Amino acid sequence: MTETLIRPLEVDPPRRDAPPRSRRRGEPGRSWRLHLPLALYLLFTLVPFYWMVVFAFRPTGSTALVPWPITFEHFDTVWNGLGFGVFFTNSLLVAVGTLGVVSVLALMGGYALARFRFRGQRVFLLALLCTQFIPGAMMLIPLFVIFKNAGLLNSLTGLVVADTAFQLPLALILMSGFVRNIPVELEEAAMVDGCTRLRAFFAITLPLLRPALVAVGSFAFIGAWNNFLFALMFAGRQDKFTLPVGLSYALGEFNTDFGALAAGGVVAAVPVVLVFAVVQRFLVQGLSAGAVKG
Amino acid sequence: MTAVLRRRRQWAPYALILPTVAVLVAFLLYPISSVVYYSLRDYNVTQPWKNGFAGLDNFRRMLTDDPLFWQSLLFSAKWVVVQVGLQLLLGLALALIVNETFIGRGVARSLVFSPWAVSGVLTTGIWILLYNPSTGVFQELANLGVGDHGTSVLGDPATVFPATVVAELWRGVPFFAILLLADLQTIPKDLYEAASVDGANRWRRFLSVTLPHLRDAIVLSTLLRAVWEFNNVDLIYTLTGGGPANQTTTLPLYVARKAVDSHDFGYGSALTIAGFVVLLFFSILYLRLSKFGSRS
Amino acid sequence: MGFRRAVAVVLALGLALAGCSDAGDGGGGNATITFWDNNGGPGRTPIYEELIKRFEAANPTIKVEYVGVPSASVQQKYDTAIAGGSVPDVGGVTTSYLANLVGQDALEPLDDRIDSGPLKGKLLPGLVETVRQTAPDNKLYSAPSSGNLDVIWYRKDWFEAANLTPPTTWDELVDRAVKLTDPARNRYGYTIRGGAGSIFQLLTETYAYSGVEKFFEGTTSTVASSGNADLVRKVAELYKKATPEADVNNNYTQMVAQFTGGSVAMMHHNLGSYSDVTKALGTDKVGAISLPVGPSGKKTVVPNPTDGFAVFKGSKNTDAAWKFVEFLVSAESNSYWNEKVGQIPANTDVRSEKWIEANQPVRMALGVLEDPATKLVPAPVYLPQYSSITKTDSEPAYQKVLLGQLSAQEFLTGLADKLSAAQKEWEERR
Repeated sequence: MTETLIRPLEVDPPRRDAPPRSRRRGEPGRSWRLHLPLALYLLFTLVPFYWMVVFAFRPTGSTALVPWPITFEHFDTVWNGLGFGVFFTNSLLVAVGTLGVVSVLALMGGYALARFRFRGQRVFLLALLCTQFIPGAMMLIPLFVIFKNAGLLNSLTGLVVADTAFQLPLALILMSGFVRNIPVELEEAAMVDGCTRLRAFFAITLPLLRPALVAVGSFAFIGAWNNFLFALMFAGRQDKFTLPVGLSYALGEFNTDFGALAAGGVVAAVPVVLVFAVVQRFLVQGLSAGAVKG
Repeated sequence: MTAVLRRRRQWAPYALILPTVAVLVAFLLYPISSVVYYSLRDYNVTQPWKNGFAGLDNFRRMLTDDPLFWQSLLFSAKWVVVQVGLQLLLGLALALIVNETFIGRGVARSLVFSPWAVSGVLTTGIWILLYNPSTGVFQELANLGVGDHGTSVLGDPATVFPATVVAELWRGVPFFAILLLADLQTIPKDLYEAASVDGANRWRRFLSVTLPHLRDAIVLSTLLRAVWEFNNVDLIYTLTGGGPANQTTTLPLYVARKAVDSHDFGYGSALTIAGFVVLLFFSILYLRLSKFGSRS
Repeated sequence: MGFRRAVAVVLALGLALAGCSDAGDGGGGNATITFWDNNGGPGRTPIYEELIKRFEAANPTIKVEYVGVPSASVQQKYDTAIAGGSVPDVGGVTTSYLANLVGQDALEPLDDRIDSGPLKGKLLPGLVETVRQTAPDNKLYSAPSSGNLDVIWYRKDWFEAANLTPPTTWDELVDRAVKLTDPARNRYGYTIRGGAGSIFQLLTETYAYSGVEKFFEGTTSTVASSGNADLVRKVAELYKKATPEADVNNNYTQMVAQFTGGSVAMMHHNLGSYSDVTKALGTDKVGAISLPVGPSGKKTVVPNPTDGFAVFKGSKNTDAAWKFVEFLVSAESNSYWNEKVGQIPANTDVRSEKWIEANQPVRMALGVLEDPATKLVPAPVYLPQYSSITKTDSEPAYQKVLLGQLSAQEFLTGLADKLSAAQKEWEERR
C-alpha cells in the first residue's frame, strides 16, 4: 500500500517548464529562438554523416554531391569481402554483454557511494578516477599477459571483461551522481512503512533511475561497441574481430578505400543510431512534484 | 539532499562495491603497477642490451632535458580546457533545448546524440574526408564560390588547432547533452513553479533552480571528460599526427610515439606517470574547489 | 523492468556463446596454423583467401587460419604478441620492421629450408640481400615475396593536354610541377608527403638526386651531403607554390586522396598504391615513372622495404608453417599475388609471365632493378633506432623545413648525426 502512496504520478504530457500560471505570450518568438540554434547544430551534426553516406553509395572516384548513380559495391566489399557480418555480431554481443555487466555493477556501486558513508569511500572514489588516468595502450602488454593466463584471449567474453574494466569506473561515478539526485526520503518513507531497503530500491528508486540507466548504459554500450585497441590486440582469430577493426582495414597503407570505409561506417553506425533513437525517449521522464510532498 | 543513512549494518556498502573492486584489482592493479615499474627502468625491446634499472633517470631527463615534454603538457592543458569548456557549453545548451517540448523533439534528440554512436576510427575517417582539399567540404564550398580551392585547414598552422577542435567537438558534445538531459529530469517541477511565483524570469529560474541542481553532474562530467580528452589521442593522431612540427602533440600522443613507434617503453612509462600525477593533482584540486558532494 | 530483464537474458546468452565458441583444433593428424596478414584490407584479404583455398586443396592435412591485421597497427600487434607469448605460426613482414622482430629473437632463420627445397636459387638476389641486411647475423629471417619500388604516379591525361613529357630529371620535375599548377581550378603539379612516413620517401628522393652511392662512409652517414640538401631545398620551395597547402601534414591516406581526387598531377609513392590509384582513375589516365635523376645522371635507388613471410619460433608446427610459406613464394602463388597487387615478384620464374609485360609500372620497375647501371643504396633499417630516428625525431623537423622554420642543411645534419651515432653503436656490437 505504501507504493500507491508515494508512487510518482503518471508522466505529464507534454512537459512544459513554462509555469502554468503566468501566461507567457510570444510563443512564436520563443519557438524560433529554440529552433534556430538547434537547426544550426543539427546541420553541423549531419554534414559528416551525409558525407559518409555519399561516399558509401557512390562509385569510387566520382565527385558528385549526391550518390547517383547509386552503387552497392562498397557494401559488398565490406560485408562479403571483409566479413563485416561476423564483426557486427561480435560487436553486438560484446557491447550488450558489457552493457549488462556494467549497468549492474555501476548500479550497485553507485548506490553504495551515494547512500552510504563508509570508511574508504574517498579512497574508492579516487581509485576509480585513477584508473582513468593511464591510457590503455600503456597497459596493453601486462593486460595481455593477465588475459592469456586467465584464458580470456581470443574470446568475446574476454573483450567484455576488458571493456567492463575500463567503462565501469566512469559508469559507477556517474550513476552515483544520479542516485544522489533522488531524494532518499522516498526510500525512507517506504522503509518506514515496512519495506526492506532492497524492496524500496526496486519499487521506488529504480524506476526513477530510468534516464540514468539509459544514459550510463548507452555510454557503456557505445564504449564497448567502439573499442578498437583491445578488440585488435586480444584476438588472434579473424572471426573474433569487431567492427572497429574491420573499419581500420579500409585505412591501410596501399589499401585506402574510402568507399569501403564509408560503407563499413554505415554498417557500424546506423544500427546504433537507430537504437539510440528508440531509447532516447527514456532519457526524459516526467517527475511529478507531488512525489516528494506525498 | 545528499542524505546519509544511519550507520547500521555497514556491511552493505562493502558488499555492493565488492564486485567492482574485484574487477579493478584483478585487471588493473598489475598493469598500472607495471607502468610504474617500467618508468624506473631503461626498457627497449629492440635494444635489449641496454635494459636495466634506471632509477629516476627517465624522470630527470623528462624534466630537464626534454622541451617537448613541457610543450606537449601545455598543449594538452590547452586542448582539454578548450574542448571540455566548449563541449560543456554546447552540451548544456542542447540539453536545455531538447528538454523543451516541440514537434519533432524525438527526432531532434536522436540526431543530436548520434555522433556519440560513431566509433573513433570512423570519426577520424569521416573528418579526414571532410577536411581533405580534394574530397572535402571546402572543395565543394569553393566550387560554389565560397573560399579558395585547395584550402587545407589541417595544413595551415593557423587553422589546424580550430579544425581539430571542431572535429572532436562533433563527437564530444553529445556526451554532455545526454548526461545533462538525464540530470535535468530530476529537478522537481515545483521548484520552477515556486521560483516563477516569486517573479523570476527564465534566465533567473535557470540560474537559481537549474544550475545548482546540475552542479554536481557538471563537476563530475567535466572532470571525467577532461581526463578522457587528456588521454585520448586517436583523433589527433590520425588527423594531424601531432603536427605540423609537433604543434598539436599532446602528452599522451608523445607517449604513444615514444613507447610504440620508438619502442622506448621505459621513457614512455615515465611520461605516462607524469601525466598520471598531473591528472591526479588536478582532480583532487578540482574536486576540492568545487566543493563536490556538499550540498545545501 | 522488461528492459533490464531483456538485457540480462542477452548478457547471459552472449557470455555463453562467447565462451563456448572456441572450438578446439581438428583432431587426428591435422595441423592448424595461423597466418597473420600484415596489411589486411579490401585489397589484399581476398587474394590470400584464394591462395589459402589452393593451399588447403593441395595439402588436406593442413588448415590455415587467416587473420588480417590492419597495417597501421601491425607492429604493435606483433610486439604485443611476442611479449605476451602468443605468436602466430606464419606472419607477413616487411623489412622495415623485420629488424625489430629479429632483435626480439622471435623468428626462425630460413636459409636451410630454402636451400634444401625448390626455392633454392629462385629468389631475386637484390631482394634477398635487403632481407639479409636486417639481421646482425646476416641470416634470412623472412622469405622475400614481393619487391617494391618508389615511383612517381602521374596523370597522363594532364601531361598530354599540356603537351608535356614526363620528367626524367628533378629539374624537369620542378618545371613540370610549376607548369601544371592552376590553383583556380584546384590543380597542383606535385604533392609532398609531409606527415607520417615522410622521411623514407624524402630519402629516396635525395639519393636519387644526389647520386651518392652509399648510405654510410664508414660509420658516418652521407645523408647530410650537399647534393641531398639541394634536393630538400628544391622540394621545400615547391611547397605551396606547386603543391597543396595540406601537404605539410599529409600521411599516405590524405596524400592519395588528393591524387585520386583529381587535384594533383604527380605523386611520389610506390608500386603498392597501384590498385588504389588505378581503381579511382583508371589505367589510361595514370602512369608511373621511376624517380628522376639529378645532375650527375646516376641512377641511385633506395629500395623500398621488401615484403616477405616469416616463421615464428613460438610456432608449434614449424614444418607446416614452412610448407605454407614455401607455397606462398612458389612461382604460381607469387605470380598471382604480385599480379593482383602490382608489385615486383621475388620468384625469378615469374619474370616471363605475360602480366608483367602488360603492367607498365611493374615492367618499368623491373627494368630499373635489372639495369646494371642502377646502384641500390639500402636504408639502414637494421638499426634498432631507425624507426625512432626517422619517425619520431625527424618527421616534425621536416615539417619545420617545409614551413620555413628550419634550413634543409640543418635538418639533414641533425638526421645524419643521429644515424651515424646509431651506426657506430651497431658496428661496435658486431
